[in-house]
Formats: sequence, structure tokens, C-alpha cells
Amino acid sequence: MRPDSSRKVDARATAGRERDLLARVRRRDREAFTELYRLYQPRLLAYLRRVLASFALADEIVDDVLFVVWKDAKKFRGDSAVSSWIFGIAYRKTMTAIRTESRYQAPLDRSMDTALLPATTSGDHDFVRAGLAELSADHRQVIELTYFCGFSYAEIAEIADCPVNTVKTRMFHARRRLRHVLPVLAGEKPEKGRDHA
Amino acid sequence: MPDTIRHDDAIELLPWLVNGTLEPREYEAVDLHAKNCVICRRELDRLGALATALADETQGELLPAPDMRNINARIDADLARSRRGAELLDRLLDWSGNRWRLAFVLQAAGVMALAVVLWRVEPESEFTTLTTPESLPSGDYLRVVFDPGLDGAAISALLEAYGLVLVSGPSERGVYTLGLQDASAERADVSASLEGAPGVLFVQPVTGKDSP
Repeated sequence: MRPDSSRKVDARATAGRERDLLARVRRRDREAFTELYRLYQPRLLAYLRRVLASFALADEIVDDVLFVVWKDAKKFRGDSAVSSWIFGIAYRKTMTAIRTESRYQAPLDRSMDTALLPATTSGDHDFVRAGLAELSADHRQVIELTYFCGFSYAEIAEIADCPVNTVKTRMFHARRRLRHVLPVLAGEKPEKGRDHA
Repeated sequence: MPDTIRHDDAIELLPWLVNGTLEPREYEAVDLHAKNCVICRRELDRLGALATALADETQGELLPAPDMRNINARIDADLARSRRGAELLDRLLDWSGNRWRLAFVLQAAGVMALAVVLWRVEPESEFTTLTTPESLPSGDYLRVVFDPGLDGAAISALLEAYGLVLVSGPSERGVYTLGLQDASAERADVSASLEGAPGVLFVQPVTGKDSP
């Protein structure tokens, strides 16, 4: 996808607005926090419900993350985007939950929450879910942060607090693990031979 | 003219070409390479399909509406805690006048606390009571505590009146060890009459450890 210059301008405006909000939260401005909460709660919830196996836990962690934002707003140094900082908190809490209890690791068993699903589920979705289930937590996170959340590799490096090359390496391994899934998704006929991803 | 890029570097960056977050220079280089590379084009199709599948998977999924009741309760509790801490600090500052004085008071309190701790952990073997005879030669003695308001002359007058001599004291806790001037006098009688004397708070007979 070609970088869209108007999107970049919008992103800069949003980033500036979010910095202002966070600066006000640092001064204990409840109104600013409410606005920040409304901006981030849906994004965090959607992300966490994808990477955790429990919707209830995802809901709980969202509030934990945003409470840390309230408490630690003064710790934001401003050398990254507010979104990277907030998602970084969510990332660490998620990884801690998964490491503490491996049963929390995705894949989501969405059959537990069928009320929240669209009426129909295509075969592709099952196929993708099965593929994602093969990934380690680190690799799954890179896939979700890239495709679902739309972060750049530099932002993912900030979120995961690791070098950019580590992000690229994790993505490389994730793509290798998905090598049986990707061709089918792209509508290719199964073929024998080498895989380049 | 975009920069050229190696195939390995280009194929590594394809996921971010798909999500549209490459910097313009990187985008131009990767895009140009992909247009001329069959492998990258195919991989681009696959990753594009993955992105679409992931987006479709949650499309239409209902998320609960933001509900701030829990987090507001946590913030209220946090603010209340902070306020209590600030009020306590303010009260201390008001009471102590200024920060330096507060620091001095806190330091003094710390020293006192340390002194209490050290006093409490004094080894048991070194702890003495009014009746502990170890440091006395054999014989009969009285351990006496006088009213702190009595001066030295008043105490001397009392000792003289009751036929007592000072053996040691006062200790740190104000205890005097007294001996009988007349060895034939009955210690019990002296003790009983001394107990009733004005300015005497406590009398305890004690015997030197070598005495029979």
C-alpha cells in the first residue's frame, strides 16, 4: 500500500492531540483521561481479544493498561508516539499474562463467545486461526501488531522494546510458520517446492 | 529515482508495504523491486490475502461499549490515597513550620526509634533488675528509688536518718544501692520504715551474691 501523504498529516495531527491529552492527564485532568480512554479502549480491547485466549482477561487488562496510563503519565518521555507507549504497556501485560499462564495464549476460542461473532464464519477464518495457533506469542504479536493494528516495524520495536531487526526476524519466522496457510489464502493451488517467505 | 534494494531486504519489508507504514523512500525501493521480482509479487499477494483475512475475521464483531465505572472507581481511590498523603504532609509541614524543620524532626524521630530498637535488643545477660546481686559484695543491701524532685542534700539527710550509706548509684534508671551503717540492724525493719518515708518511691532488699 502506497504511503498516503494526507494520512501522514492526519496521523501527525492525531499524535499531537494525543500528546496534549497525555500532558493534561499528567496534571490529573479527568476530562482528558476520559477522552484518551474513549480513544484507546476499543483499540486495545480489539487487539487484546485477538492475542489472548480469554475475553474476560482481555477486558480486565484493558482497564489495567489504562489505569497505568493514568498513574504513570509522567513517565512518558515523549521519545515515541503515545500510541506506541500505550500499546507497549498492553504488550508487556499481555506477555506477562501468557508467560504466567500459557492457557491465556491465543488462539482465541471464539466459540466461547459466539454472541459476539458475525452471523457467518467463513472457512478462511478457521484456516487463518489454525495457522495463527501455530505461532509463538512473540511471533503472533508481530503479526497482529502489523496487520491488525497497523503499526510500522519501528513502532513495533518500541512497543516490544526490542531492536528493529528483532521485529523483522520475528516476522520472518512467523511467515515461515504460516507458509502452508498463505498460499491457500491467496487462492494458489497447492504446490510442491521451495518456499521463499 | 528510488534507491535500489537487495531482494532479501525487500522481501523482509513486504508486510509493512502491505500495511502502508513504510517510509516513502523505503516504499519506492521495495515497490520497484516487487514489480520486477516474481517471488516478491507472489509473496505480496499472499501477505495481502492474510491482511484481508485478519481484517475480515473481526469485521462486525461487537465489542462492549466503553464502561468507565471500574476505572473511575480505581482512580477515585488513587486520588483519595494521594490526598490523604498530601494532607498528612501538609499537617506535618504546618506543625513543623518548614521543610528543614520537618527533616530535623523526622531525623530526630528516626534516632529515637533506633535508640528504642537498640534498647530493646539489649542482650538478656546484661539486663539487671533491682534485685540482681551480681555486682555486689556479700552482705545486705537496699535498692531504692527516690522521687526525682529530691536533691542530693535531701537524699543525704534521708540516708543519715535511716542509718544508710550509699554503695552505688544512682544508675541510669535512678536506682541507688544502699548499705546499712550498723551491720547488726535489721534490714527488714529499715526497709519497712524507709518505704513510708516521704520522697521514697521504691525500696527493695537485695543480698550480695557471696553472702550465705
